[in-house]
Amino acid sequence: MARGSVLARLPTLPTTVVGSYPVPEWMERLKTEYFRGRMSYPQLLDVHEMAIKAALHDQELAGIDIVSDGELRRDNDIDYFLARIPGIEIRNAAKDFYFDYYEAILSEPLPEPEGTPLRLAEDFAFTAAHTSAPIKFSFTGPFSLAHRVGGNAYPDRRELALAVAWVLNAEARALAERGAELLQIDEPFLAGYPEAVEAAIEAINVVTAGVPVTWALHVCYGNRYARPLWQGHYDFLFPPVLGAKVDQLVLEFARKGYADLPVVQKSGWDRDIGLGVIDVKSSEIETPGLVADRIRHALDLVPASRLIINPDCGLRNLPGAVARAKLAAMAEGAATVRQELPREPDP
Amino acid sequence: MLIDFRPHARLRGNNPVDFEASVSPLISALAQDQADLSGVRVVCDWVQYKENFRDIVEVRPILSCPAPAEGHDGRPVPAGAPPYHMEIAVDVRRSGEVALRDLTAARLSQQPAGRIYLEDWGPGGDSCIWDFNALYWSALELWEKASGRSYEQALPGGESDARNRGAARELISELFALWDPLASSGALPEELYVAELGVGNGSQAKVFLDEFRELDRAHGSGYYRRLHYLMCDYSQYVLDLARETVAAHASHVSSVSLDATRPSTSLGFLRGKAFLLYISNVYDNLPTDEVAQLGGQPYYVHTRAYFPPAAAADLAASVSAAPEELPGLTRRLLRLGPSELADAAPGQVSDVDAAVRFWQQAWAALRLEERYVPLTGLDLYPVAPSVSGEVLRPLLESGADIRMHVSNGAVASFVDSLPLLHPFGKLVCHDLFVTGVAGYRTSFRGPGKYDGSVVNWVNWLLLAHVGRRRGFEVQFAPFRHRAGRNIVTMTAQARD
Repeated sequence: MARGSVLARLPTLPTTVVGSYPVPEWMERLKTEYFRGRMSYPQLLDVHEMAIKAALHDQELAGIDIVSDGELRRDNDIDYFLARIPGIEIRNAAKDFYFDYYEAILSEPLPEPEGTPLRLAEDFAFTAAHTSAPIKFSFTGPFSLAHRVGGNAYPDRRELALAVAWVLNAEARALAERGAELLQIDEPFLAGYPEAVEAAIEAINVVTAGVPVTWALHVCYGNRYARPLWQGHYDFLFPPVLGAKVDQLVLEFARKGYADLPVVQKSGWDRDIGLGVIDVKSSEIETPGLVADRIRHALDLVPASRLIINPDCGLRNLPGAVARAKLAAMAEGAATVRQELPREPDP
Repeated sequence: MLIDFRPHARLRGNNPVDFEASVSPLISALAQDQADLSGVRVVCDWVQYKENFRDIVEVRPILSCPAPAEGHDGRPVPAGAPPYHMEIAVDVRRSGEVALRDLTAARLSQQPAGRIYLEDWGPGGDSCIWDFNALYWSALELWEKASGRSYEQALPGGESDARNRGAARELISELFALWDPLASSGALPEELYVAELGVGNGSQAKVFLDEFRELDRAHGSGYYRRLHYLMCDYSQYVLDLARETVAAHASHVSSVSLDATRPSTSLGFLRGKAFLLYISNVYDNLPTDEVAQLGGQPYYVHTRAYFPPAAAADLAASVSAAPEELPGLTRRLLRLGPSELADAAPGQVSDVDAAVRFWQQAWAALRLEERYVPLTGLDLYPVAPSVSGEVLRPLLESGADIRMHVSNGAVASFVDSLPLLHPFGKLVCHDLFVTGVAGYRTSFRGPGKYDGSVVNWVNWLLLAHVGRRRGFEVQFAPFRHRAGRNIVTMTAQARD
């Protein structure tokens, strides 16, 4: 697979984020006000847009090569998407706390995708208008979204995930048309259902079908409430994930250790790896030296040309100052290792 | 003027409160006073605890100037226009016993003279009543000897719900149902941890272990062999007592000395391993502040402990001291305990028995003054370590005026306990819980005195909110194994 247009423009060992950015307590309060019906949607949008601009600026100041909007518009990793998919019913639209999951019900099969009801391309366009840095745009994948939908509209979860995948495919096409070059599918629930990896990959391939961008797939062990939801090892992904039509696997290593990296390498994965070097479940700030050591360790197994440097997962649950310091340490650690790499011969 | 008659259910029934008699004289006294009535709120409670910290009528100032907060650097602290300047509180259970109009007029006309203060103003959780509470548990043996009854006999109903066999069997059956499939898939750890926080006399542990052994024998899974039961308490006396009670299960039991508000400090090794955390009647006995929302403004409830003049005179005479010497002697009692006080103050207490008598009389006499202090910036108020006062907002802003417990000690304990749970583990807590905001608007929820300890109902709503934010489903149900009681069972398990 090609590395993609974004990575070709960047130095070796480019740094990026997984997606989410810290939500300050005051912003949580405003989001919750909205979900209790005490704040208008235009005001909430304004809050989100101000926060996204600040998050982009933070990432640029920290030296991150590929930035994201911090997923700051989203109340959690699921509802922002499900609540907008026509046919999915949210019976109680109020929330006690913005982060809570809705109860999403699907009584009838999803209608044929029409247009782009999730309006993700508009979200991307806003981000692109406020940064000149390359952008990673992430969204939750069909497998995890399907797991939060109740009802009996489909005979099994595989069918439901495929139906959701077609909705996401339309969104991805629109994102590509608006200029998105690097899209990431997040599957935070996949590690809890290792027996369902094949079905998940089938749905993921529907999402990526015909969308000419660099595709990343992020699989972690969960980050909701800043604690892992699942235990285990990445060997459950293989071999089915080799059939995924994606260019990068973005994985969690810093918290768990790097014992799984040989597993990935020996499995036959010959594409890029997003290497988690920052533990997002700990407020302890890694030193640039520690980050550099982690990258050097990975270089024993994976060539630099196939590594992208990122945190384990989204930064949502960290205090802002801690997240900024972690990103800066990550960028500095990557820069240190980059300088140690042998210079490539001039063409 | 606002009149908040909270126990309105008591206006009906067999023995209804006489509203005219219990409130009207108070209003009459207010009418004769010079106070600006537009800024007065009258709150009527039914204080169910015969031993409590309140006078029949109290005047509580509502301050307009916030307390200086950390980080303000001397800058003016903005606060909204104070809606009230004074609260008159009356206990309608007792107001018929006194000349209410005269008492109210006296309270309004002058600062109470002759009160012996034991401390300065501060949040309720910092009051010395919690030192008395801690002393009760650490020197329980002496208290029980002097009173001639065990702490359990002092509880309403005469025994703890912890020793209920039906409840224990239900819990154990749930554990077996959880463990069986884990065992089948090889995912059940070798050691099966159960921890009890606050063990009392060990009767709960004994009931649980006895039932566990019996049910396991019938189940045939060998779980008892793998069971490790941790009895945790901060009182060594209680732990020693409990160990004797469970001597038959000694090889399966460990005792852990622990501060209930920081269980992870002693139980860090248990992180992610506990299948059951069992807590019975502990939370209601941990320090708590109170906060209020009055007329749209949030307030701290500050308290100040004192001895009333007559009680102070009697107490001082009993130890051959002047009333002014009582705060010092009380502080020494709380610091040293009754056993040491006799040595430290032989001129006042001749021996340990005399020290215990002083302790019990002081506790009986103790009262709390209250005032409201503006609370500007909920985020600046630490409910517990790592829990900001922002969590209070949904409750404080839930509608009309409200005053509620923060249950700081319970929140701290709860938040620090959750990481100990195995991913499929469960926290089970029996206690007095307020499960709806209406509970705070219609009933008095403490503090009261149970024998030598403090009792406050626990703010379940707050625990549920805090737990949910940390990924746990927190539910409650009436304790099903004993009818006619206020005890509620709270459970917490990982959600999503």
